Amino acid sequence: MSSTLLAAGTDPLSHVVNTNKTIWWVGEIGFGTAHEVMLVLAGVITVVGLLLVSRRIRTGEESQGNERYVTKGRLAQIIEVMVIYLRDQMLEPVLGEKQTRRWAPFLLSVFFLILTVNLLGMIPFLDLQHFLGMHHIALGGTATANINVTVVFALFAFVAIQIHSFRELGFLGWLDHLTCGLTKGPKGLLLVVPIVFAVEFAGVFIKPVALAIRLFANMMGGHILLATVIMLPSMPQLALEVGGGSWLAISAATGAFAVALTFLELFVAFLQAFVFMFLTAVFISLMSHEEHEHEDHSAEEVREELAAAH
Amino acid sequence: MLLSLVLAAADGDAVNPMNPEKWVAGTALVVASVAFTLLMWKVWPVITKGLDERNDKILGEIKAAEDARAQAKQALADYEKSLADAREEATRTIAEARAEAQRLADEMKASNERDLAERMARAKADIEAAKKAAVADIHNHASELASTVAGRILQREISPGDQARLVEESIRELDAAGV
Repeated sequence: MSSTLLAAGTDPLSHVVNTNKTIWWVGEIGFGTAHEVMLVLAGVITVVGLLLVSRRIRTGEESQGNERYVTKGRLAQIIEVMVIYLRDQMLEPVLGEKQTRRWAPFLLSVFFLILTVNLLGMIPFLDLQHFLGMHHIALGGTATANINVTVVFALFAFVAIQIHSFRELGFLGWLDHLTCGLTKGPKGLLLVVPIVFAVEFAGVFIKPVALAIRLFANMMGGHILLATVIMLPSMPQLALEVGGGSWLAISAATGAFAVALTFLELFVAFLQAFVFMFLTAVFISLMSHEEHEHEDHSAEEVREELAAAH
Repeated sequence: MLLSLVLAAADGDAVNPMNPEKWVAGTALVVASVAFTLLMWKVWPVITKGLDERNDKILGEIKAAEDARAQAKQALADYEKSLADAREEATRTIAEARAEAQRLADEMKASNERDLAERMARAKADIEAAKKAAVADIHNHASELASTVAGRILQREISPGDQARLVEESIRELDAAGV
């Protein structure tokens, strides 16, 4: 792999960002870049994989007896454990049972699609194609290390949060939420309502943007670090003689470090998919009646405290 | 490092990772829309239904096991209660039987003692009567014998007055002899 990386150049960013080269041509019409292909591939794998898994998790025929309740296959069992853990241990405490029933399908879809994209990005397709001597790159890279992709994912999260907000609170309730219920408080607090509204309104957009940037930066940063470590022996700044003792020693050290980093990347791939899904759930829960009522209560408490102070 | 790379990208040495790529964004939009729709339509309802059915099955089995355990416990309690009742009944029956037996034994003993006393009294009376009859009989024989002996001795018939006197003397002698 080192040789292919050497051949690929000394810029680690080139291994992470989209190739920007059209790779599929139908006559004169060219379409598709590596990240687009990876996205489509991830989508197909996610949908087909989970469809097959769902058939192994669902209850079987009555003729199977109690065996019909048993999930068949290790992958299906792993997915099932993940789904149960995410739904019952992560989403339900945040959203409550009713909202979990409503939003778990969307949130789990987000999680598994992002996870698949992240994990596909762990496979060094680009280097394999270099290694195989292919001139046209067909696929490769981590699509979630592309801000365009994460922004789209965040757009879905934004839409979901707003749908939930308007369904739960209504337009006036939504506006009231953005003022943190201060309009119902003491008249003195009305002065800060525009400031609070501006901050909260900005937060409506900042939250999904933060989701997009967090996922993009983590995937991009990890891969850049990994590529940099692997490319270190071939950096011209080090001026190492290829095949020399120093080159071999540094190659061995960076290779071992790269293996460790790869495990870290594997963890980050799961973690970032989870963080995206979980924060979306948190943002949804923040726009629920309970939270609103809680804020009202807080405003009432503030009013009582102010009255006591006077 | 990242900053230098981004700056290098801005200088044209590498692709800027922040560049907007409408086709990538469009692809992501289409892929995510299709994937989310299919997953939410075809996958999660099936998985959720399967998990819920299994959950219901497990909860149902646990409830059935708890019910069976409660029934078994109730049956054991009923059995033990029946056993205790039976033991109590048997104890009471035995006590009643013992009391009845004691009562009958006492009655029989009293009856026997009463019969025995009656028989003894009757036997004493019989003995007394027999004794009196025997004494009278002896008196008669003795008087006859005495008369006979006296007659023979005297070679004559004794008068009734002598006879009576001899009898009385004989009786006195007999009494003196303790007969």
